[in-house]
Parts: sequence; C-alpha cells; structure tokens
Amino acid sequence: MQSVREEESASIDQEPRSCGDNSVWAHVSPLLSAACSDLNEGELIHGDNFNLFAAMSALEIMDPKMDSGMVSTFYSIDEAIESGFAPVPISSDRTVDVQCIIDIMDHLLACEATWHMGHSLAQTVFSCIYVLRPERTSSHALLHSFCRVIRATCRALVSVVSDARTNEEEDLFTMTYGLPFNGDEDGKGLLLLNAVEETICRQLRACKATSSKRRVFEELEPLQTNPQLEEGFCKALLCRIRFRKHFLHALNCMRRPQGRGLELARKHIAYCIAELESVLSSVEFLSLETVENGKNEMEESTTGSGRHPIGFDPNLNKRLSAPTPPRAIKLLSWKKVGTSKFSAIDYYVKLLHNLDQICAFKLEPDLDAVLQFVVQFQKSRPDLVARAHLQLLLVQDGKLYGRDTFLTICARSLALDVTKNHGLHLNEYILQLNQLMINLLKILCANTPWQRRKLGKILNDWSIFNVQMGITVGHMMQQVTTPRTPKNGDKSALILNHIYGWLEEQIHWVALRFLVLGFDLKLYSPSEYCMVYWYMYIILWKLAEKAHFRVLIIVHTEERKAKKKEDCSRDMAREDRISLWVLLLKCQTSLAQGLTVMIAALRNEGMCLKSQGPFNTENEKFVQHFGLLQKASLPKYDAYESFSESTCHARLDYLPVYECFRDAQKMAKEIKVGYANDPDKLAEVVGLEQVAEHNIIAVNLLCQDRCLKVSFEFIHHPHFATAVLQVKWLWSQMGLVSQEPALFATSIKENILSGKKDATIDDVVEAAKASNAHTFISQLPNVYE
Amino acid sequence: MEQEGAERSTTIVASTSEGSSLDPIARVRKLLFRQMLVGIKDGRFFLGNFHCIDKQGNILLQDAVEYRSIRRSSPSPTEQRCLGIILIPASCRTSCHVDCSIEEQLSLIQLKE
Repeated sequence: MQSVREEESASIDQEPRSCGDNSVWAHVSPLLSAACSDLNEGELIHGDNFNLFAAMSALEIMDPKMDSGMVSTFYSIDEAIESGFAPVPISSDRTVDVQCIIDIMDHLLACEATWHMGHSLAQTVFSCIYVLRPERTSSHALLHSFCRVIRATCRALVSVVSDARTNEEEDLFTMTYGLPFNGDEDGKGLLLLNAVEETICRQLRACKATSSKRRVFEELEPLQTNPQLEEGFCKALLCRIRFRKHFLHALNCMRRPQGRGLELARKHIAYCIAELESVLSSVEFLSLETVENGKNEMEESTTGSGRHPIGFDPNLNKRLSAPTPPRAIKLLSWKKVGTSKFSAIDYYVKLLHNLDQICAFKLEPDLDAVLQFVVQFQKSRPDLVARAHLQLLLVQDGKLYGRDTFLTICARSLALDVTKNHGLHLNEYILQLNQLMINLLKILCANTPWQRRKLGKILNDWSIFNVQMGITVGHMMQQVTTPRTPKNGDKSALILNHIYGWLEEQIHWVALRFLVLGFDLKLYSPSEYCMVYWYMYIILWKLAEKAHFRVLIIVHTEERKAKKKEDCSRDMAREDRISLWVLLLKCQTSLAQGLTVMIAALRNEGMCLKSQGPFNTENEKFVQHFGLLQKASLPKYDAYESFSESTCHARLDYLPVYECFRDAQKMAKEIKVGYANDPDKLAEVVGLEQVAEHNIIAVNLLCQDRCLKVSFEFIHHPHFATAVLQVKWLWSQMGLVSQEPALFATSIKENILSGKKDATIDDVVEAAKASNAHTFISQLPNVYE
Repeated sequence: MEQEGAERSTTIVASTSEGSSLDPIARVRKLLFRQMLVGIKDGRFFLGNFHCIDKQGNILLQDAVEYRSIRRSSPSPTEQRCLGIILIPASCRTSCHVDCSIEEQLSLIQLKE
C-alpha cells in the first residue's frame, strides 16, 4: 500500500508546508469512498462547528463561475508568451505587422474606455501582453513606445482618481493589485514615441514625394512593403500616435498646481479632438481589406478594421484580484455601428469635451461662480475621470485652486476686507468653515446619486456648525454694540457676523441642490410633486432672502469705499451679478409657489392623483423625502403641519396661482436681459419663462373646464414641471379611447399651449377637431409627435 | 501493532485500536479537522482542514490554500493562493491524503483490507 503515495509524494515534498517529523501523508481515498457508500442519502460527516450557511458560501472548485484558478487558455503570462501568443514582431511581413499594430492600438482604446466606465484595469488595458511586458518589445520601437505611453497614461489617471478619491463610488478603477504598474521606464515612452512619430512623418513625406525628389529619401526605409498602402498606413498610425501623445500631455498639464497648465492643456485637448476625427476617418482605409474578404462584421468590433487584435487575453490576470473570477465583461465597441449604444470613440469625445470645459474655466475667485460652474458642469453627467480632474483643480492643499483660502473667498463674496490681519484665519470657526467648504466642493464633484446622499448628510454638519457659530457671534455682537471706541477685535466680530449670515445662505443652497437632484434622479413620483415644490418654495424663499441681504451688505460696504475712492466699477459688476442671481431665485420661488398652489388646488378639487398610496401616508412620504432637511432644521418649524395647512384650502380660482406665475414670467423677462451674453443661463431662464407661460394657460383652461385631465411633465425645464392637459370628454365623443391617448393629447396640448396665450375652450375644440379629422386620415397615433 | 500504537499515544488509541471495530463512517469522522491534501484533475493541490463530506464524496476544506505549478513545462516554481472555505466536487478529485502519524497510517492501511 505504500506505493499508493509514490506519485504524489514527489510533488508533496516540494510543498512549502510538509508535515512534521513523525507524520506522513496517508492515502485515504478508499476509506472515504467506503464511508460514502455507507452514508445515507443527505447525510453529512461533519464536526460540531459545522454551519450550513458558512458551508454554502464555499467556493466550488472547477466551477467556471467560482474558481478563478481554473486553467483557461494559459497558466501564466510566461506560458502565453512561450506559446507564441504575442509574438514580437507580430509578423515577419511588415505590412501585416503594421496592420496588427493598428488593431492593437484600436483595441487598447476600447479597453481604456471600458476601464474608465468602471471595469478593472486587469480585465481591460492590462489584458494586453505587450502592455504587461513592455521590456519584451524593446526591439520594436513603435509597439514599445506606444505601450509605454499607454502605461504612463494609466498611471497618470490612477493617480488623479486616487488623489481625488472620487473612486469611492467606482472602486474598481484604481485597483492595480498584482499588475506590473511600477515601470519607471514609462516616462521615456513619450520621447520614444516622438522619435517614432518623426520617422513615420518622413516616411509619409517620402511616399508622397514625386520621383524627382525621391532620391533624397532613398536611404529611408518605407514603413512597410506595399507602396500602394504606404500613405494610408502612415496616416492611420500618425493620428493614433498623436492622439496618445496629446492626451498624455493634456493630462500632465492639467495636473500642474494652481491650474497653471490649463491653457496649454486646452490646446492639447483641441489637438486630441482633431486627431480623434482623423482616427475615425482612417477606418475607411483600414476596413477596406476586411470588406473585400466578405467579413463585414463591424457590429461589435473593438478595432477600426474589424479584425480581432493579437496579444489580448482578458483571463490572464483573473487570479490576481479575488478567489472568485471576475465577471466576464463586454468591451465597448470601437465605433458606433448599428445597435451598440455607446462606443469607445463616443466616450473619448465626451471625456475630451468635459476636460475642455474644465480647462476653459477662468478660475474665478468668486464662490458663487465656482458653485454655478460645478452645477453646470455636472449637467452633462461627466464620467469619473473628468470629475476627478475638476475636483483636483478646485481643491488643492486645502485652498481653492491651491491659491485662495476659503476665508478670503467668503470675505470676497461679502466684499469685506480681510487683508489686514485680524487673526481671523486662526479662528476655530474659520478653520471649521474651511473644512466644510472643502467637503462641499468635493461632494459636488461626485456622481449624482452619491452627491445627493452626501449632501443630505453634510447638511446636518452645517446646521450644527451654524448653531454653534450663531451662539458665539451673538455674544460677540452684544459686546460690540455697547458703545466703545472701535477696536481691532470689533472689526473681526463684524466680519464673523457677516460670515454667519453668509453661512446660512450656503446651507440653503445645499438644501436646494439636494432637492433639485431628486428631480435629476427621478426620485419623486407625480403625486409627491406638491410637497416637493412646497419645500423648494420654502428653501428658495429663504435663499433669495439671504442672498438679497448679502447684496445689501455689499452695497453698503461699496458705498463706504466709494466715499474714499472713486473707482469701484469692477465690484459693481459683481454686485449686479449677485442681484441678478437673487432675481433668478425669486423667479424660481414664484414658480415653485405657483406649482405648489396649482397642484394642491387640483388635488383638492379631485382633478389630480391623490398622494395617498396604499402603503405610505403622506406624512410618511414627507419624512422619507425631507427627513434630512428637517433634521438640519430647515425650516425651523414643523414642516409637514405647515405644508398641509397651507395647501388644504387651495382652490383653482384662487388668485395667487395666477399671481405667482405672472410674477415669475415678469421676472424671467427682466433676467433675460441681464444674461444676454451667457447662453447657458439664458436657456435656463427661457425654460422658466415657458413653464410660467404654459402653466398660466393651463390654469386658465382648467378654471373653465374641470373635465380636463392633467399631468405634469418636464418639457421646458428639468426641475419645474409643465402642466399637460388631456381632453377626457373629447375622447368619449370620438370613441377612440384606447388608442394612445397621451400621444394624441400632446398634439392638442401643443396646439393649445404653444399657439395662443389667451386660448378659450372653443379654441381647444377647434384644435381638437382639426387633429381629429387628421387622425382619421392618417390613422396612426404617432404622426403627431 | 495496534497495541504498541496505543501505548505511545492515547489520542491515537482512540482512532486506531478501536478503529478496526468501527465502521468507515466513524473512522472518517475521526479524520475531521485534520490537514487534508486533495489533488484535482487539472494538477492543482488544495491543502486545508477537513471540514465535511457528503454521500456523493464532495469535500469541504476550511482555510484552504491552492498550490499549482506555474508552467506546465517546468515543474519547479509553485504558486499559492489562500482561498478560505472551498468545496471540491468528487468528480474532479484525483487523490486525497490526510496528515497523520506513521502508526495511524499503518492502522488505516490495515483497516482497508
């Protein structure tokens, strides 16, 4: 029986853990099988500590979904290399070699985009053996330098994202465990790539040159052997190489402290966008051969040519991260073809535009401007990489742009002078405020769901801080008001008092952002709009009040300054900007109020969905949505009680409904003039105006005909709803009830609402008849949209 | 042989002297919590504490470590990974060994006949 061990013993002896002196490995397979046959069905042999739940979490060996150690194609990278999986050079035929390299470049681009979109580096970029082992390719300058630059780019991005810590949400991004990520050689990649670019440039010129000039280039070896394809290949390679080069340059420039490299980065980004276009246009040339071969399967291809790239195996690193294999991922397709929704090229275009947006930011030292910029930036839903860059730009060394302390910033937004040392920068409140501001800016750079959650949480910190500061400042101000000769300390107390007021404004701003993000995330159901708008109204009203107060402070200080000096034109501009902003807030306040009253009235008259669902009472929903705000005592009274009191008596013929929308409309007109040279703002204001206008008409119609069916949609503004009317009785007359009433109704709505402001019910009927006749002709409901 | 073993160590007595009279199930139960080395079809070995076995012969190992040789060609360097609790299906098991003293092993061998 000793012989049973013969085979295994050889390998066992090599195991790091062999048994002690007196013990041996006893062969127990026969015993086990004997025991198994004796066991009853469903019986187990186990110890006292056996726990079925724990046992169920065991990894099943040889299960392809659980056992990452299962051998797929290759045991290891070395074995893959030995078996000729990734040869260097890729082919002895230089034309094929160049072709393959272009495929690899394209595939790497798709890999990188997929990585940015939230998959692990190990499964994407580092699935390429050439990237994993760059030292192997050192004889092949083109491939070598390209892979080095790819690695350098990856490292730059990982460092940005892990510095910004925006990866908390997408934590696979920075996972580099076990990957060869420490090549110092990669820094040389750009130099090498430049040299390669130059050579190819010359080769391109050589092949374009007329025969008379050709002699000059005679000693130059062409890129590949087929002279007809030379120009196309040179161009295809050049745009890819240049894209890489400028992209890495742009990333490096953006990392320069205090945003000094932004202008340069912007130029590189512009180059990148241009090169990306030529990359796209090179597809025609590259896919020529594939089309000829009849393999026109561009659908899900990750390369421009449609061929499968050489040297990639996504399973190579699968044992690195966890005992279980990572899920198989689908790489983004290279180009948008047919069914694929989003392609690698699309991703890069979006990323570059977002980066460009950041670089175009003028680094205004005005906090209002910064906050509005971030909000505007977030509207296009930028991805992780762009957001990380923005965050690093905004917060450096605990200062805005690494330049201004937040004390300076908030003093500036109040037009106060803090250059004289009042010892304020050491004040504990100021230090705390600094921290709060940094957190706020970081959170604003996170993705939308994360941002909303975090904003809800920091509201509490802000309100606690606010209460503490209020007590201290109240004390200080009492001392100041007692008549005494003004001292330095009094001045700082005054500044603190102003900052205290400013702090409340910021809290309301955060609360507003929290509420508004709910619309972006579609967290509110139509039956809850009433309470949401009510809450927004409360917050907006407070915010407008505080902001207005700030304008008064600024005007006051400006006047005092103006007495001393004559020139204050620059600050007047800012004052105008703030008062414009106050007006915008007031406009939104009126809209929110109007919507609240309107929806409440509709509900009270039974024309709209009641918010009572079968599961939660209205009060419970209220707490679910606004619990965090109430905890931060915004507003300070019992919000739900006040809400139900203020809305329970609302009627449609109740005057305020009109008044609110009319006010909003009027204010929007005024603001439009002020924002004439800011297209983003202007678009928003126009949206607000339209919402007001259409809702006035809707209320008008509803007062006259209570049978109209109302729904609320976000057609004109992402956060303020427009009432959309459907004619119920008309449908019953026409007998077409079941056919997509929404589609038909939109046409009526368009007729009524966009055409005439003072439409009467007769106009509705006419409009409906017109469309009615038309429906009969076309018979297709979707003709109208 | 069995008597000698019993004299040396009382713990072994329990598993060996009475072993002959015990059925296989009871003997396997005595192997619980011992170090077990299981080899599977694709050449990997798993070393862990024997935790459980069912009628079909599937084995659960606790605190298992996976050993494999990195290259198929050269057997020298081995790679190891900690896996925690694993289930080795009977279908892919090729060998199974338990860490025990020489005396125990002899008794086990005897009992197999």
